[in-house]
Amino acid sequence: MFGAFRPTSALFGGLLWKRPWRISRPQKYRQRQRLQRIDRIVDTIESALAKRGMTSQAVEVWKAEMPTESEMPPRDKYTIFDKKHKGYRKGIHKLPKWTRVSQRINPIGF
Amino acid sequence: MPFFKVTLIRSGIGLTHKKLGVLKALGLRKRMRTVFHDVNPAIAGQLMKVKELIALSTTDKKLSRRQMHEKRQPPPGFVVEKSRLVEGEGKS
Repeated sequence: MFGAFRPTSALFGGLLWKRPWRISRPQKYRQRQRLQRIDRIVDTIESALAKRGMTSQAVEVWKAEMPTESEMPPRDKYTIFDKKHKGYRKGIHKLPKWTRVSQRINPIGF
Repeated sequence: MPFFKVTLIRSGIGLTHKKLGVLKALGLRKRMRTVFHDVNPAIAGQLMKVKELIALSTTDKKLSRRQMHEKRQPPPGFVVEKSRLVEGEGKS
């Protein structure tokens, strides 16, 4: 039952992937919520500055480069580019710290 | 005068030192800590760096930690209509 030779699925089957290759529907839902929340935060910063007649380079660059959640295709919301992967795409949940980093655009040509 | 009301809702553990430094500079040491900052481009740039970790709104009033704590308190459940203590003090 216990010890070094206990029967686990990793020992029986050999290779065991603990992260599934695709993300689940609730994970996708929460990912959309996170993207929308970041959009709202950027809008809040922009409108607060605009009320005082100010602008911020960081906000302007983000607005120019990054699509909003509604503008992004599902492919970009739930997968990322990976040069080593078949089809050059893998699930976004494979990205380290994927719930706390922004990943919205692809390399040029992909 | 408007302020940014910033609350750290996701921890910065394991993120880059630059982001951790920004959190420190904003005064966000622990999760659920709320701080108020002026609205200016410098603060806006800092908030953009850690936008994935925070909840943000704008307010007109800056609250201290004690005031925020008092706002969270439930009502005491009774109303003092008349205080005998205050009356007694008035007589003597």
